[in-house]
Amino acid sequence: MQANLSLLLALPLFGALVLALLGRRLSRPMVERLACAAIIAAFIAALTALAGAWGETRLVPLFPWFSAGGFSASMDVLYDPLSGIMAVMVTFVSAIIHIHSVGYMRGDESYARYFCYLNLFVFFMLVITLADNLAFLFLGWEGVGFCSYALIGFWFADAERTLAGRKAFVMTRIGDVGFLIAMALFFATLGTLSLSGIIASVSALSVGTATALGLLLLWAAVGKSAQLPLLVWLPDAMAGPTPVSALIHAATMVTAGVYLLMRLFPVLALSQAALAAVGAVGAVTALFASFSALGQRDIKRILAWSTISQVGYMFLGIAAGDLCGGMFHLLAHAFFKSLLFMGAGCVIQALHEEHDIFRMGSRVRTAMPPVFLLFFLGALALAAVPPASGYFSKGRILYATLSHGGGLFTLYWAMGSLAAILTALYTFRLVFVAFFGDPAFPPKTWDIEPLPRFMIHVLWPLGALALLAGGLNLPGNFSGAEWLSHALRTVPGADAEFHGVSELAVSLADAGFCAVGLFLAWMLYGPRTAPGRRGPADPERFAHRMLRSGFGLDALYRKTVLTPFLALSGFMRRVVDEGAVDAAFMSQGVLWARTSMAARRLATGRTSTYLLTFLLGLAAICAVLLAKGA
Amino acid sequence: MIVPLEHILLLAFILFLMGAVCALARRNLVMILLGLEVMLNAAGIAFVGASLRWMEMDGQAFVLFIMGVAAAEIAVGLALLVYCWRRSGSLDVNVFSRLKG
Amino acid sequence: MNAFPLLSTLIFLPLLGALATVLLSRSPALCRAAALGTALAELLLAACAIPLAADPGTILAENAAWIPSFGIRYALAMDGLSGLLVLMTAFLGVLAVLTSFKEITKRPGAYYAFLLAVETSACGVFLAKDLFLFYLFWEVQLVPMFFLIGVWGHEDRRKAALKFFLFSIAGGMLMLLAVIGAWLAQPEGARTFSLAALMAAPAAPHVQNWLFAAFFLAFAVKMPIVPVHTWLPDAHTQAPTAGSVILAGVLLKTGAYGLIRLAFPLFPDAAALSVPLLFVLGLAGLYHASLCALAQTDAKRLVAYSSVAHMALIVIGVAAWNAVSLSGAMLQMINHALTTGGLFIMIGMLSRRSGSRELASFGGVWKRSPVLGAFFLFFCMASAGLPGLNNFVSELLTLVGTWTGHPGVAAAAFAGAVLTLTYVLKLAQGTLFGTPAATQPEQWPDAEPLELCVLSPLAASILYLGFAPQAVLDMLRGPVSDFLPRIPQLFQ
Repeated sequence: MQANLSLLLALPLFGALVLALLGRRLSRPMVERLACAAIIAAFIAALTALAGAWGETRLVPLFPWFSAGGFSASMDVLYDPLSGIMAVMVTFVSAIIHIHSVGYMRGDESYARYFCYLNLFVFFMLVITLADNLAFLFLGWEGVGFCSYALIGFWFADAERTLAGRKAFVMTRIGDVGFLIAMALFFATLGTLSLSGIIASVSALSVGTATALGLLLLWAAVGKSAQLPLLVWLPDAMAGPTPVSALIHAATMVTAGVYLLMRLFPVLALSQAALAAVGAVGAVTALFASFSALGQRDIKRILAWSTISQVGYMFLGIAAGDLCGGMFHLLAHAFFKSLLFMGAGCVIQALHEEHDIFRMGSRVRTAMPPVFLLFFLGALALAAVPPASGYFSKGRILYATLSHGGGLFTLYWAMGSLAAILTALYTFRLVFVAFFGDPAFPPKTWDIEPLPRFMIHVLWPLGALALLAGGLNLPGNFSGAEWLSHALRTVPGADAEFHGVSELAVSLADAGFCAVGLFLAWMLYGPRTAPGRRGPADPERFAHRMLRSGFGLDALYRKTVLTPFLALSGFMRRVVDEGAVDAAFMSQGVLWARTSMAARRLATGRTSTYLLTFLLGLAAICAVLLAKGA
Repeated sequence: MIVPLEHILLLAFILFLMGAVCALARRNLVMILLGLEVMLNAAGIAFVGASLRWMEMDGQAFVLFIMGVAAAEIAVGLALLVYCWRRSGSLDVNVFSRLKG
Repeated sequence: MNAFPLLSTLIFLPLLGALATVLLSRSPALCRAAALGTALAELLLAACAIPLAADPGTILAENAAWIPSFGIRYALAMDGLSGLLVLMTAFLGVLAVLTSFKEITKRPGAYYAFLLAVETSACGVFLAKDLFLFYLFWEVQLVPMFFLIGVWGHEDRRKAALKFFLFSIAGGMLMLLAVIGAWLAQPEGARTFSLAALMAAPAAPHVQNWLFAAFFLAFAVKMPIVPVHTWLPDAHTQAPTAGSVILAGVLLKTGAYGLIRLAFPLFPDAAALSVPLLFVLGLAGLYHASLCALAQTDAKRLVAYSSVAHMALIVIGVAAWNAVSLSGAMLQMINHALTTGGLFIMIGMLSRRSGSRELASFGGVWKRSPVLGAFFLFFCMASAGLPGLNNFVSELLTLVGTWTGHPGVAAAAFAGAVLTLTYVLKLAQGTLFGTPAATQPEQWPDAEPLELCVLSPLAASILYLGFAPQAVLDMLRGPVSDFLPRIPQLFQ
């Protein structure tokens, strides 16, 4: 087991190290094969680990990291079904994205750097997944943040892109402060940072401490998972290569916050206030982001906002105490969202970097039927059309929320349901506008570049999963076995049962919401609607402007946080540091210099003056001696 | 002792004053050195007088030292003087004012 | 007592090398060889001393009478902390010599002599166990550094050197008075400068306050702590690269070392009283320096301010005075030396290529020299405290330790991590990314073998301390458990 897990972690790291040190000396096929092989081997290791320890919880020490005066951080692995399944998902999606990237980056010279970062990212993501110690988890947590920074700004010659990366890094670092403080609080109250240790002694926490910890962890998760109020970095993060968006900003890294909350759910569960806060963040974000997705024209930005919205559902699931539902949606979302992103990447590349859906149209579908089909499968799942995976996973969360009871959670359910309608609407707006009818605006070029076939066909497993992953946890009333619930039942906090509302009724309602969304999309953007009418509404209209800019949150932060912060920084430098502190010391120097200038006049440079002074001094001494003698 | 100590001290004082005025008032380096020598000798006279007054030989020994020092001093001083002359072509003390503040 | 005077050799070997470089000053190549040879020998010697210092069984010390009438002894000792700092000094010494090969063409003999002389004085500071001897080495540090900045510095070097000297000497003079005061405060007849004796019998509390204030001011100037930090940005900006490395890596550490080794244990009552002040100064320094760093346009100045911010964490960790925070603060001394040293070396290399230190004159470095770019990003991330790299370990320990007694202070310092990242990313953004500035010369070679020789060991040690810092922490355990009980007021 230890060897297997070490291998799982070591393979991507080894790939990254080799590429970092030798990447520029290796041939292109060599680099590509090495990177993909490392991840595929890691996938196999993850699978064998899962098979070998099915249903068990194991604490596997790997490497003692550091300890001092009672504080100890060690690189231990907590292997239970949750981390096992997550590791399989991460390596599986990563492997497909690696292979897809070989095609996507075929024209880029910096392939070695790209694959190095990608491998490194997988390593860090696996660290998050497997870590037992919070400090070790934080290694992965910050590591994926760095990889995200480096990959968003991968095309660094364009300063816009690197600035987007910087924004992502700084915004997530704001969340990480919560993580750091939570670590300190865990150490101060429980004396350990080990997840298994924390969960074992969780009953020692008071409700107040648990609330504080819950809110701190929520803050950390909000940063990493791009939830309100720290979500503005994710749409900008789309500046990176599209496979990166698929891997980091859809399937894995942004769900790390959700994963953290699931790991520490027993702490959250102690505090109703913390759970309600998690639910509020999730519900409001889901609604907020699905509205914003409606106003976008850039295909990747639509998907980015939808990611934010879907992660909001996962938060909602955790708040309702439904870890299994959260994990279910996390897995389904990883499959269909990475599929959607890579499908979008194919479209963008084939259309010569065209991002605007209003410049695409049916020519895309006719030129690349497999891409359309794959994208359509992903869209079905995202819009939660039964029986695609998203229908079951999202339905499970909404069901858990409603059956949690209480006015607050009923409100969350209502918001989630409204967001579900909007999700179906914006998803099929995207599908209809980008793949049907004539483009509303003339494209820059009508030429469609053929893509390597493997880069499309490697997506089929994801397409199948997007459609069928509902089978992972098919609810009882669909004669399902609830496989995932059984698998996760040993995970602390994941054994919740839900009663009170009819699951069938909620499922039917979900299908109804989806149908409403689809109907609206058909009416507004369907292929029968004239291209002119379905084009973007008057861009100057207030409502449209609000939606397009994500309710102006980014601009608000710029105005209220960034600008004053930069002004403060300049003020501290010029006025406080140079103007006051340094000037105070320097003016002392000036004072001394002035004094010595006054004394300088005494030095005339004439020997006779010196001699005279000398003799006068002598005479004075003599006079004093005389006076004393007398 | 035939001559009273007061007279000797008076002579020494007058000699010292003359030397001092010479050193102060003249601008020529040679004259300043001369003034210094006169002042040294004035001190020497005072030592000898005092030595005779108390019949202690230390004062006379001291005069010998002063003579030695004066000789050394004049040797170094004249060497410097020659160097200054070569350097600047003048013996005017006011020319050498580079240490002016 | 060892038969072989290992500690004295450690201190005076660089001085011998300095003599050799002066004698060989006719031939620059021989100078370099002599300097490099001495630095390497010193490193080897320090590495040999480390196992002895780490082993609690052996006591590595020398003690001889020096000026008996005043109770002054030539007393040296090496424990884990001094051992690590000496090793770090020797390591940075080698790197400093190597970085100077290309940069220094003017009077290399004298240059390397001064560089090695700094090593001697710093090792002396780290090893002295007699207050007078400590003071002597402390003040001697100034002289070679003054000339390094003032003669081999950049355009505004004279002013910077003078500023450095005046700030340091002002602190040093007060410390001299306090050294004498500490001596006089003892009963007549039993007066000594021995640190052990002084710690065993601290002065009366009201006397301690004055003495502590003087010591603290001297160390605060050297560390530096805001608001007496303003000499540092000038000195760093104007110093030659090796000077900056030594200044940040070694000289600043003597300040922190003095705070931990002398100011706190010698004056426990005053130290206990000063804790709130130290927290305020530490936090103010962290935020002030971080904000100032963000507003800089000169890359070297930016790193200099980042240096002040990182040192502020040491102040916080020392003031919290518990096992975790103190281990963190001590480790931070070493980590800061490596990361900041690395950044200074890199900026030296880059500005030698671009001809300017202004951020605006860089841009697109990654495009022109990817190897240098990768190293630079690596050092930037280390400075930002990315886990897996060295600074994270020490900063986490420092602040988690601080949290146990002072959660508010620790929370504020944790939040400072965001500011750290902003200025580090500004540095990376300005140099590495975007398009190359129009002012850049055509000639822009990627990393040369000599530069790789400098950067690779640094990067390796940063990675080592990030992933396996336990060996170092084990070395520090002895000193920590030795220091902690000396201030019973702070240590429960």
